[in-house]
Amino acid sequence: MLERTVTIRNALGMHARAAARFVHAAGGFQCRVTVAREERGDRRVDGKSILGLLLLAASRGVVIRITADGADEDEALGSLCRLVEAGFGDEPC
Amino acid sequence: MLRIPGLPVSPGVAWGPAALMLHRHSAMRRGIAAAHVERELGRLDTAKETSATQLRAIHARVSQRAGADLANLFEAQLLMLDDHLLVPRARRIVESDRVNAEWALDRAFDEFCAVFSEVGDEYLRERRGDVADVVGRLRRNLAPAAARGAGADPAAPAVLVADELAPSVAAQLDPASILGLAFETGSRTHHSAILARSLAIPAVAGAAGVTLHIRPGALVLVDGDAGEVVIDPSPEVLDEARVRRERRATSAGLQVSRPAGPVLTADGVTVRFHANIERLEEIETAKAAGAEGVGLFRTEFLLGDRAVDAFDEEAQYRVYREVVERMAPHTVTIRTFDVDESQAAGGGGGERDHGARPRGIGLSRGSLGLRAIRVSLGHREAFETQLRALARAGRHGAIRVLLPFVSSVDELRDARAAMRSAIHEVEETGQTLAVMPVGVMIEVPAAALTVDLLAAEADFFSIGTNDLIQYCLAVDRADGRVAGLFDPLHPAILRVIRSVIRLARPRRRPVALCGEMAADPGALLLLLGLGVTEFSMSPAAIPEARGLVRRVTMGDARRAAVRAVSLPTSADIAALLAARFPALASWPTGRDGRPHMEGQP
Repeated sequence: MLERTVTIRNALGMHARAAARFVHAAGGFQCRVTVAREERGDRRVDGKSILGLLLLAASRGVVIRITADGADEDEALGSLCRLVEAGFGDEPC
Repeated sequence: MLRIPGLPVSPGVAWGPAALMLHRHSAMRRGIAAAHVERELGRLDTAKETSATQLRAIHARVSQRAGADLANLFEAQLLMLDDHLLVPRARRIVESDRVNAEWALDRAFDEFCAVFSEVGDEYLRERRGDVADVVGRLRRNLAPAAARGAGADPAAPAVLVADELAPSVAAQLDPASILGLAFETGSRTHHSAILARSLAIPAVAGAAGVTLHIRPGALVLVDGDAGEVVIDPSPEVLDEARVRRERRATSAGLQVSRPAGPVLTADGVTVRFHANIERLEEIETAKAAGAEGVGLFRTEFLLGDRAVDAFDEEAQYRVYREVVERMAPHTVTIRTFDVDESQAAGGGGGERDHGARPRGIGLSRGSLGLRAIRVSLGHREAFETQLRALARAGRHGAIRVLLPFVSSVDELRDARAAMRSAIHEVEETGQTLAVMPVGVMIEVPAAALTVDLLAAEADFFSIGTNDLIQYCLAVDRADGRVAGLFDPLHPAILRVIRSVIRLARPRRRPVALCGEMAADPGALLLLLGLGVTEFSMSPAAIPEARGLVRRVTMGDARRAAVRAVSLPTSADIAALLAARFPALASWPTGRDGRPHMEGQP
């Protein structure tokens, strides 16, 4: 199991489309992906569930902890962190 | 047996199988047989597939027209449709609780919203809208199957149990199939409560958590006298209720069989009772109840979802004419539209809520905002249209025009000018018009304090206690958390009413009282003692009020009122009433020798 923290950078935070991109990306890996807000680690949500991700209310500046557990965990974690750091591909504001 | 206390908002007692309704989606909870679980799951799956097909089509169309970015929103919705928190969760609820698909879907959405509301910033509310969109689509796609009927017959007579009840929904209830009403929010003066009384449906409001405790099909009793909901009532409770219902039916029968006309107090003072109505169907009920006219016709309920300027003169004229002709020879007091700006634009008449807000938190329509006469004066054309229709209907009977929410002489003058202009326009068509009195509704403290100034230019007054109480006491009657502070016997209320009567006296302007306060027996006697001899109330409350007035003397009422206005608390005032008027103890709507009033323990 691997985990890493990453900061939400895009202006709108993890909104519906951003969460959708995350789910698509996570869905491309076999490993289990969970996400939590760093400051309240108690509520972990399924990284492959768009509703779960929306429940995180991860707005700009929020630090999230992504955990990957499975055969392709290394690759998955790298790919997902890059997506978040790139602002989910949102248009720069 | 489980007893849940609430506020008694419409008298009477009723029992029957519970039908549950969540206002937000109007979903009924139905229990299903084990054999039907597969069918409900199938309905969910079909609705999901249909929704997915629709969303893919929308996605394709939007990406052609608006580009990939916006189209991705629908891709997000497709993901939500597939999310295990939604449809799969609803499937599990169907299996574990044996309930219909609609209900299960609502529960799944509720669970999601419950977590969401904990965070509750603006950003999130927007996201919830996306999910609500998907849930709404699923619900629509469930509908055709639901219409074919699946199990319990929702048309069978039942007690409706709801988290909240929008007046627009309440207005459509069929009294023949709704035995009683119990809802979690609201208060005695909420419009749904008023409607329940006018339809003579026993109702309890403010029954906290009642929807959570009721199993599908459970027997539930609504005690609109005591203010209690009883789930799975014992045989003893049912027996007692049966006796009470029979006694009430007998006394109501006696009252109705008596000729209508003015009622005299035991010492011979004339008291008049008029009806508050908002629908033509209520006219016969009003007459049967002994109403000597309509004291308040709430025209905004005629709007439905129409904008005020889409309700044409001819259609209005026909309704007003019918009311006055059917009530002849009695006077009909018609109140101009009491709507807020969004309702004026076609957002539906009467109070209503637009879905997504946390349960148990009510907000009344712009209580201190742009509504009623303020809206009418801002929509001058629509206002004059209404006034023309009223002026024309006035040729067919006695109509008085009542202006709601007036807070200054300026507004009264503006409205009078609109009236003159409307009359002038009608007269240009060659019609001669009868003189139509124009009155002011006293519901804003500013108006109550300046009745002497208004009296110089108004022909009559009508005290609207529902709003007057909430503005005097700073209590939002739709907010369940403070609804208990809504107290008609508060010393301030008695004093302000006394002051209104006194200020109107020098110019001999009649003062009627059209709030629901007068439907409470104890309050009615106090009002009588303060000098109010003209009341308007829901038709269902009139027979009892008439019966009560006959049994007391004006002298006793006056002496009790004089003493009451000097007492420091409403509890003292209630105790005084109980001591001075032993008749209240045995009165059907009274309880334990005390009149029932919200604000009283």
